[in-house]
Amino acid sequence: MRYIVRLIALGIVAALLAVVPATMSQDDDVVINFYWASAVEGDLPGIFADYAAQFEAENPGVTINPVYTGTYTQTRDTILAEGDSPLVDVAIMLATDMYTFIDDSYIIPLNSFIDEMEDGEAWFDDFFPAFWANSIDPAGNVWSVSFQRSTPIMFYNADLFAEEGIEVPTNNEELIAAAQALHTSDRDGLQIPVAGNFPIWMFQSFANAYGAPLTDGDPTQVTFNAPETLEALEFLTRIGMSVEDGGFGVGPMGGSAWGETPSAFVAGQAAMIYHTIGSLTNILQSADFEVGLSFLPSGPAGEDGTGYGSPTGGGNLYIFDDGSKSEAELQAAWDWVVFLSSAEIQSDWGAATGYIASRISSWEIEPLLSLTEEFPQYAVARDQLDFAYEEFTAYRSVEIQNIINFELSNVISGSVSLDEAASVLENAQAQIDGLLEEFN
Amino acid sequence: MDTSEIASDAKPETVVVPMSKPLLQRLVPYLLIAPTLILVFTFTIWPVTQTIQASMHEPGRATRDDAGRRVPGEPTFVGVDNYTALFDSTHFLGRRFPRVLTNTIFFTTATVVVGLPLALGFALLINRPMRGLGLWRFGFFYTVLLPLIGAANIWAFMFANTTGVINTVLGAFGISGQDWLGNPQLVIFSLVLVNIWKQTGFFMIFYLAALQNTPRDIYEAAELDGGGYFTTLYYLTLPLLRRTSLFLVIVSSTYAFQTVEQLEALNRGQPADRGNLLLYFIFQNLGSSSNMGYVNAMTVILIGLLLVFTVSNFIVFEGRSEDE
Repeated sequence: MRYIVRLIALGIVAALLAVVPATMSQDDDVVINFYWASAVEGDLPGIFADYAAQFEAENPGVTINPVYTGTYTQTRDTILAEGDSPLVDVAIMLATDMYTFIDDSYIIPLNSFIDEMEDGEAWFDDFFPAFWANSIDPAGNVWSVSFQRSTPIMFYNADLFAEEGIEVPTNNEELIAAAQALHTSDRDGLQIPVAGNFPIWMFQSFANAYGAPLTDGDPTQVTFNAPETLEALEFLTRIGMSVEDGGFGVGPMGGSAWGETPSAFVAGQAAMIYHTIGSLTNILQSADFEVGLSFLPSGPAGEDGTGYGSPTGGGNLYIFDDGSKSEAELQAAWDWVVFLSSAEIQSDWGAATGYIASRISSWEIEPLLSLTEEFPQYAVARDQLDFAYEEFTAYRSVEIQNIINFELSNVISGSVSLDEAASVLENAQAQIDGLLEEFN
Repeated sequence: MDTSEIASDAKPETVVVPMSKPLLQRLVPYLLIAPTLILVFTFTIWPVTQTIQASMHEPGRATRDDAGRRVPGEPTFVGVDNYTALFDSTHFLGRRFPRVLTNTIFFTTATVVVGLPLALGFALLINRPMRGLGLWRFGFFYTVLLPLIGAANIWAFMFANTTGVINTVLGAFGISGQDWLGNPQLVIFSLVLVNIWKQTGFFMIFYLAALQNTPRDIYEAAELDGGGYFTTLYYLTLPLLRRTSLFLVIVSSTYAFQTVEQLEALNRGQPADRGNLLLYFIFQNLGSSSNMGYVNAMTVILIGLLLVFTVSNFIVFEGRSEDE
């Protein structure tokens, strides 16, 4: 019995030792729980630890607690699973998640913080305008700030193009012609990674280039049944269909898998691929040929090359508040957002990860300045931003993306024939309209 | 002899009424089962009850009050609407759910029907003296030692369309490769293959242990009676392995219903859900508060399926056992 009493006493002391320092630090410091997600590899925890240390040195009394929460999806699910008052203060989440969190009153608008900045307008204007498209609602509320953004881009085997004397394609007709010229029995002319569960991202570039963006700034409207949408889908599907079946016969049926596509490219098994700019560092390190980058070729929308359709992608910084946080906590959260989106950090983060630095001025300072001088390919995605569209976002975004991804996969994989594609899009549109009905 | 006479002649015994046991002694059995009860209640009964309740509600949407405080939404009771929606082809989940359910039942059945006989075959094969026995046993068992996600990545490398091992080997023989994970007609078979490859060694170990525990004298008697190998296998070995088989059918089907990791590494349920399974589909639909009613309904269906599968196996196997 005495032994048990001693054991219990020891347990109480140990628990007190664990709790007291935490309580003390809460008294002294504002602690910012920072959830971060990433789709690229590297010593990212180390980098965030450095950023946090740097920020804490500049902001005494604030402690940053970086928490790696996995993929974007896992991060979103973690926050939702934390219930009505999540522990998170600042999170890197998909730019497309904005209305999911607005709809359930998790995040707060940032306008008041920006208004209070001394150089708020200059700060705002230093971000690439294309990235703000996924941060601002129709009423003008700013809900997030760009941190690690990306965009799809076309990679091509420059040596092959030189050998065959082929010009780099700038529109869809030239794209298919080049792909057919470079397609052999053991090499695809073109691979577009739409075989996974996320074809919507690549598809947007075609829908935009055909003149029918899925969304156009209004989160209560999604268009998936326009005639141009169908044309875009038919074009994308034909890339993988054989010539005998009415296709272009230049890529794998159903598209390529996301992770396999860069591997096939560096192995010489694909002459051209569409992929995220985030893959550039890996491809440059792995390929034994000259890697060329170009804008995604334009479609029929617009004239004289204005039919570029690339969407943006990647993650933004959000501030979470259930209304219980103090002004000091919210100010510290905002300061951390401003720090991470500063030109210096963006330049460093972009060079370390391959994401597109969000600040225009970050490209004029080191280390990004030297990197783009050595590898001009990094600047191609940046320049494409002049023509970029917002990434798909709307209310009920998760459900609507699931609908669109499923139906795209149905058609592209051949589970549903192209003849039935129009009715598939109509049915999907009816489901989407049903979900958005309460917002209209 | 009439025993009733003896009973009536016998001296009535003094009935000793036991004194009531001390309180602690009476409480001991309850105290002993209390930890288990608490665990079962906390981690099984309570969550299942909550899930069933949530499956009959539509989640409420949170709002903010005038002071900017977040006010959680109130769920609305919708009865079985979330369940019927899952089978309504005009509903955004109803268009997909039946296919995923069918896939799951096929995947589970194929794993059991093909995997268990294979495991038994391997066990019979290595349950005999032979050269390099340890190596053979390790060869059949090593797939179990691999982490599931690692094994799935190995198969992703094997199945890869343009750079994969299988298509490269086929190509060397002039045979055109297949899109093992991208072809809607092939993908579910590819997933079954990976699951059987991963699990068979595990099931084999149970059969091997059961075989080595069967009494040898029965087999010697059968041999004396002139029973051949297959006769002995059918009339002796298989009935003796019935309990092991029941256990393995339940375990393998439960594992099959719980498959998630290999889908995450191989195909993420694609293309067009042709390679999707129920638990992974539930996971895919988690990311929205509005979806939680449907997600809970799907979870209840999954639990119900597992219960039906397990109970029916008990009835079939145990019923046959009592018949004999």
